[in-house]
Amino acid sequence: MIGTIFKKELLDTLRDKRTLMTMIIIPVMVFPVIMTLFLKVSESFSENAATKTVNIGVVAGSDGEGFVNSLKTLPAVYGKRKVIMISDTVNMKQLIRMDSLQFGVFVPIDYEKSMQDKTPAKMDVFFNATELGMKDRAEGYLNAISELEKQKRYQELDIQIEEITPLFFDYKNVATDKETIGKLIGGFLPYLFIVFGFVGCMYPAIDLFTGEKERGTLETLLTTPVSRWQILVGKMGVIVLSGLMAVTFTLVGIFLSIKVFDMVQDPRILEVIYQILSAKFLLMMYLLIIPMIIFFAGVMIPIAVYAKSFKEAQSIITPMNMFFILPAMVGFFPGISLNMVTAFIPVVNIVLATKELIAGTLDIKLLIISFIVMTSLAAIAVTISYKRFDKESNLVS
Amino acid sequence: MIEVKNLRKEFELSKKQQKEFATTEKVAIAVDSISFTCQPGRIFSLLGPNGAGKTTTMRMLSTLFQPTSGSIMIGGVDAIKNPKEARAKIGFLTGSTGLYARLTPNEVIKYFADLYGVKKDDFEKRKKYLYDLLDMNDFANKRIAKLSTGMKQKVSICRTMIHDPEIIIFDEPTSGLDVITAENIIKLILDCKNQGKTVIFSSHIMSEVDLLCDDLAIIHKGKMVFEGTMEDFRNQMQAPNLTSEFIRIITENK
Repeated sequence: MIGTIFKKELLDTLRDKRTLMTMIIIPVMVFPVIMTLFLKVSESFSENAATKTVNIGVVAGSDGEGFVNSLKTLPAVYGKRKVIMISDTVNMKQLIRMDSLQFGVFVPIDYEKSMQDKTPAKMDVFFNATELGMKDRAEGYLNAISELEKQKRYQELDIQIEEITPLFFDYKNVATDKETIGKLIGGFLPYLFIVFGFVGCMYPAIDLFTGEKERGTLETLLTTPVSRWQILVGKMGVIVLSGLMAVTFTLVGIFLSIKVFDMVQDPRILEVIYQILSAKFLLMMYLLIIPMIIFFAGVMIPIAVYAKSFKEAQSIITPMNMFFILPAMVGFFPGISLNMVTAFIPVVNIVLATKELIAGTLDIKLLIISFIVMTSLAAIAVTISYKRFDKESNLVS
Repeated sequence: MIEVKNLRKEFELSKKQQKEFATTEKVAIAVDSISFTCQPGRIFSLLGPNGAGKTTTMRMLSTLFQPTSGSIMIGGVDAIKNPKEARAKIGFLTGSTGLYARLTPNEVIKYFADLYGVKKDDFEKRKKYLYDLLDMNDFANKRIAKLSTGMKQKVSICRTMIHDPEIIIFDEPTSGLDVITAENIIKLILDCKNQGKTVIFSSHIMSEVDLLCDDLAIIHKGKMVFEGTMEDFRNQMQAPNLTSEFIRIITENK
């Protein structure tokens, strides 16, 4: 009987355009769309940075000519620049605020003397912090000029750089590429799984319970010689499958981005992604995701059973999304890892475990704890669903 | 046969409902110790104004609701102890019954036949008989969303009868339907009677009662105010017609 109900509900669900959108189309599209946007934006930023001419204001007397020359003759690799002489700092600050200048330098009156005496010259650098990246550009130019002056002084004083460098550090990364990339981007995948797993469950849950009640078909179904628990399990099976399908189609989207649309060019990242998308990884990932999706379904069903209309169910379940998305964001923060505390926090444990799984650093003991915690919660949610579904006042409108 | 004895149904009232109904009572009595018997080959009509307790009674008969007390025997099966077994003997149709809009009549009928455990051979024979009888062959593969109200009603009838139930429960089956569509239901009720099935239907349309009914019971505010044959009812009438007599009985028992 469960199979009969499951088959019918699946057929019904697959003919619902709204469910198909949230279960297949959006999850498949999301990764390629995000990747395209990311690539286009970063491409246009770097293009912009390379081609944009930076207007640099300089307030200096005749003494600052050397500095201005150094600024003008820096190699082209530092980007295009135009040096504009300004009469005073008040005017310069105003021009920076208006974005006519991207930054400005006040060259002190004793600049040349300081260079000759080999003493430090204090330079005031004006910039607008709301114009992102401009302080970095200023630092780039000024550090380069400072470095040139330093080299000159070493030569004049006949000092070898090695003599004034007591320690030289060579940092060696002991983490593999998989670990590094996994820890950096690993939080993104479980976030997508949670968001789409939740949304993938949402429409079928509302449609199969509230929708059936609203359309007047539930009463008929309950007069057939099928137990309520069998009806519940049959329907729940379709809801869980829809959530898992949404997760699977998110993975399909990632696969398409790499294989078909050729969006990832870096061979190191490609190698890591291929390692991630292995059979073992997928098996472990589904092991973590399945209890979480059952838990989502178990949370949604009592609400869908209680609600009197599709709209009411949607208005309760949609904001609930936030309760799961916020913990899912934990994966984005560096430094938070799966341990004996986080393994007991539902949803957070799945996010962190998936992240560790991607990085290949998952502790099996913590995986088991996370699995048990989510499975127990899923069991509680299913029990509540059954109790609610068995309550006669909720079944008829 | 349906045998109902001292059937009672109480609903717990929430604080909000107590406020709505302006009462301090913790429970509302929807059906209060009613008893009646529906015989095979006869049509039993349950009458009453809106809110009398007809739908609650029908829902208890179809095991959707658990009675607070009393007993229900459906074709010799105790419906409270063995609800699944009782449900297998019942065909249930209401005027507000919906259908799965995204499925076709063929898919809906197969689904319900499977839920009732109808064997493949029996299903094919029964389906052919009902499709021919209701003239459903032309739209059997169209999505239900695209069917007219009359066609949908035919699908509902077919769905109710696919497992050849010995007891049919109709809860205000013609409510909201036009005369032509309602005619299909009237015809179905008469067919069921002629096949020796036990038929119970609730209504407040006296012309339907006059046309179909062999036995009737009138309930008001959950209590039985009349029970007998249609012949008894006509013999005891004090008002000039059935509708007036129905109103008189209800008013007398206010």
